[in-house]
Amino acid sequence: MRNTAAFLVLAFAAAVATLVAQSSQPKSSTLQIPFESYALPNGLRVVLAPNNTSPTVAVTVWYHVGSKNEAKGKTGFAHLFEHVMFTGSGHVPYGVHDRLTEGVGGSNNGTTSRDRTMYFETIPSNYLETALWLESDRMGFLLDTLDIQKLDAQRDIVKNERRQSMDNQPYGLVDEIVSNTLYPAAHPYSWDVIGSMTDLTAASETDVKEFFKRYYAPANAIVSIAGDFQPQQAKPLVARYFGEFPRGPAIVRPAAPPVTLDRETRLVYEDRVQVPRLVIVWPTVGRQSDDRFALRVLDQIVAGPRTTRLTKALVYDRQLATSITARQDPDESAGEWRLTITPRPGVSLTDLEAATDAILDTLKAEGPTGEEIQRATAGLELGFVNGLESNLGRSMRLADGLGYDNDAGSFQTEYQKMLAVTPADVKRVANKYLTKGRIVLSVVPIGKKEMASKPSESTPYRRTDQ
Amino acid sequence: MTRRAWLVVIPMLLTGVLAVAQGTLDRSKAPAPGAPPVLRVPAWTRSTLANGAELVVSEKHDLPLVSFAITFSGGYNQGDPAARRGLADMTASMMSEGTQTRNGDALAAALQLLGTTVTIRIAGETGTIAFQCIAGKFPATLDIVADMLVNPSFPQDALERLRSQRLVALTQARDQPGAIASRVFPRLVYGDAHPYGQNVTEATLKAITRDDVVAFHRGYFRPGQALVTVVGDVNAAAAKTAIEKTLTAWPRGGERPTFQYPAVPASRATTIFLADKPGAAQSTFAIGTTGPPRSTPDYYALQVMNTMLGGMFQSRLNANIREEKGYSYGVGSSFAYGKGPGAFRAGGDIVAAKSDAALIEFMKELRGIRGERPITDEELSTAKDALTQRLPATFASAQSINTAIVSLWTQGLPDDYYQQYAAQIGAVQREDVVRVARQYVDVDHLVIVIVGDRSTIEGPLRATHVAPITMTDIEGTPAEP
Repeated sequence: MRNTAAFLVLAFAAAVATLVAQSSQPKSSTLQIPFESYALPNGLRVVLAPNNTSPTVAVTVWYHVGSKNEAKGKTGFAHLFEHVMFTGSGHVPYGVHDRLTEGVGGSNNGTTSRDRTMYFETIPSNYLETALWLESDRMGFLLDTLDIQKLDAQRDIVKNERRQSMDNQPYGLVDEIVSNTLYPAAHPYSWDVIGSMTDLTAASETDVKEFFKRYYAPANAIVSIAGDFQPQQAKPLVARYFGEFPRGPAIVRPAAPPVTLDRETRLVYEDRVQVPRLVIVWPTVGRQSDDRFALRVLDQIVAGPRTTRLTKALVYDRQLATSITARQDPDESAGEWRLTITPRPGVSLTDLEAATDAILDTLKAEGPTGEEIQRATAGLELGFVNGLESNLGRSMRLADGLGYDNDAGSFQTEYQKMLAVTPADVKRVANKYLTKGRIVLSVVPIGKKEMASKPSESTPYRRTDQ
Repeated sequence: MTRRAWLVVIPMLLTGVLAVAQGTLDRSKAPAPGAPPVLRVPAWTRSTLANGAELVVSEKHDLPLVSFAITFSGGYNQGDPAARRGLADMTASMMSEGTQTRNGDALAAALQLLGTTVTIRIAGETGTIAFQCIAGKFPATLDIVADMLVNPSFPQDALERLRSQRLVALTQARDQPGAIASRVFPRLVYGDAHPYGQNVTEATLKAITRDDVVAFHRGYFRPGQALVTVVGDVNAAAAKTAIEKTLTAWPRGGERPTFQYPAVPASRATTIFLADKPGAAQSTFAIGTTGPPRSTPDYYALQVMNTMLGGMFQSRLNANIREEKGYSYGVGSSFAYGKGPGAFRAGGDIVAAKSDAALIEFMKELRGIRGERPITDEELSTAKDALTQRLPATFASAQSINTAIVSLWTQGLPDDYYQQYAAQIGAVQREDVVRVARQYVDVDHLVIVIVGDRSTIEGPLRATHVAPITMTDIEGTPAEP
């Protein structure tokens, strides 16, 4: 992310446009969101989703490149590059981008994941062409004005981002530890998106140029526009601003297959915290497997509201924990299912782990009830619809569909598949994925390794780099 | 290109001629924007319910969605006794723990099946019971909400569980530099005698009893201090009838509070309060002082001033300390406004080794906006545009329309506030900006809270000679001199 949360909070009205066209019969499970998608001759793919609820437009430019495209020793580069994209380009001096988005009542930002990098702005609808001018200029002419000073400035900022979100945050290194442990060293998901300080220091101007030439080209990009515009107005503008760029080189995409662990890996990490935390992670599947839907419903059945299995038993009835979260995170081609448990004072993580396992074992043996599925999917349904509510959320979702599934309308299929999950599906995935092959990580106060779950069986985690 | 080139370039962009749709593309100029979209403020109707609560309904039929809220005037700053800080928040949470006819599990299950979440929160000066739902589920959801509002059972065991969870959260907050700064800063600015300066502590949490919760609920959740708002796919008359019927059991009573606050402590010379966080990779800064209430006639000038100073990405603070110097991932400033003297606060997280340099830059920008660094035409027009052109997005969704309506009520603003907003912002002159900066960014009487690694930053901070340093613990209790 380029901008800090502070700026999002300071905004006078964070709300963006809303339009959720939904069938009046909820059971039909169809979301009606008008859109069309097409490609330019140079390979740039385009999605247009008109919606005139409010006079605003969101533009998302989606590039199929993320931290998985980095090499060992250059971790964090894709995200650092995202920052460089905000430093000005051939015809757009530094600062103009902000002036013509935030400065006219809109907003802008970028975000990098393992698999993709997105740049986006929301603007008043009369600034649509301006946004296309801004985005096309950095796609076509970023290197015209690139210099080492720009890179150095963003390098420092990104290091601060790492400090703020990880190094200076209690439990902030959990994601990195999990990535390092879950995936073998050669796997492109084995490092964190933010990268290591050493690698960030090593990134060079040449790296930026090569990365740009390889990945920031029309054939690797999607322009997704949602909001108050007419497609017949937008089409010639998109062609005009993006059509002249060469399609770019063919890209060899790294394989990032799902993994399994053949046995339990137990770790203890000492952090500057007062309250310990238990994190259990199972390797699962990414967007390419439909099992992710049942795994998502499973996380809604296991933890969350007080009716869910673990939350009810451990937070409410037996009161061993103060909070529990469960979450299925699918990246493009692999995923993880993670439990995060905070104990009540005096409760040992060993006991908490045993109690957790017993509840999961029951769920695996019996499967969930139909009502549990109903409760879970009702909430997921509202969440899903809300995610498509704003123009920005909509433009991102459509771009994701086109980028990952080659179908901007894949949200429709996802929605239907999620609502179609059965108790048998959940039982099956629980047994298939929540196995002994997992990571059990105890985060404990410094000098308190004995607070770990099964301390004698847990290996201290050592950071290799800061 | 210099880093500030954008300030010079903009006038060209704004006066650029309309690009011709055909012909060669000239990328050297930003395309001229079309005519600004017309601000569309939705219509709403006001009435009063039989029990005295005010009602506002705004119909919006493009989607089968409804946004509902009951907003209460007054918050924990009015309702929490100093020794039971956290009572309002606890009561709000306890209202989801069951009713006379539905225990906590049954309540949660019923709401889950409706696919909705009812949020009950009490903030400093307002409280809210709110949900969003599919239109067809509005009556059923409203029934449950009425039950939660009128018939909560407040089980003792739930109180103990919530208390225990909050105590753990409090412990965890002590590990988090940002959370520490957010406790220390108001306490030092307002002192323990002012509600704005009081924090929830272990002692206040432990003092809260079930009787306190019952009494708070009885005194606070009353229609005489409430506004009911419904926005979305409803018929206004039918919605009113349904709400009257559903809320029959909610008896009259209550009135809006007067928001009397004790005087703020006498201001003292600018001081750095350093809270030690051994090993911290960054130092968290919170710099500020008491500010004006929302009702100040200086509101619009302050908004423009703060937008320039620290209210947007290319504001002076962020452009300098993040973008130019690279000391931070982001810094900014804000005014809290409110019914009382809400704080002015600037700050952010700074890499530990640059704590001293960042402090100097913060002070430079705070002095600068007071006139030492002249405000350019471009800065002034950008800040005004940024503020006024955000308005259309305010009315984009049922939920955001609801929020906009509620704001008028909680802040005592006229119904045509949004229509007048652009003119009010437009009327702000450069001298107004400088005047309010001089008045409210009082650089001689700042509280500068820095949470960081004392062993590495204290010496350099001292060497800046910006202000004397007083050590404080992470609760904001200064060390004995």
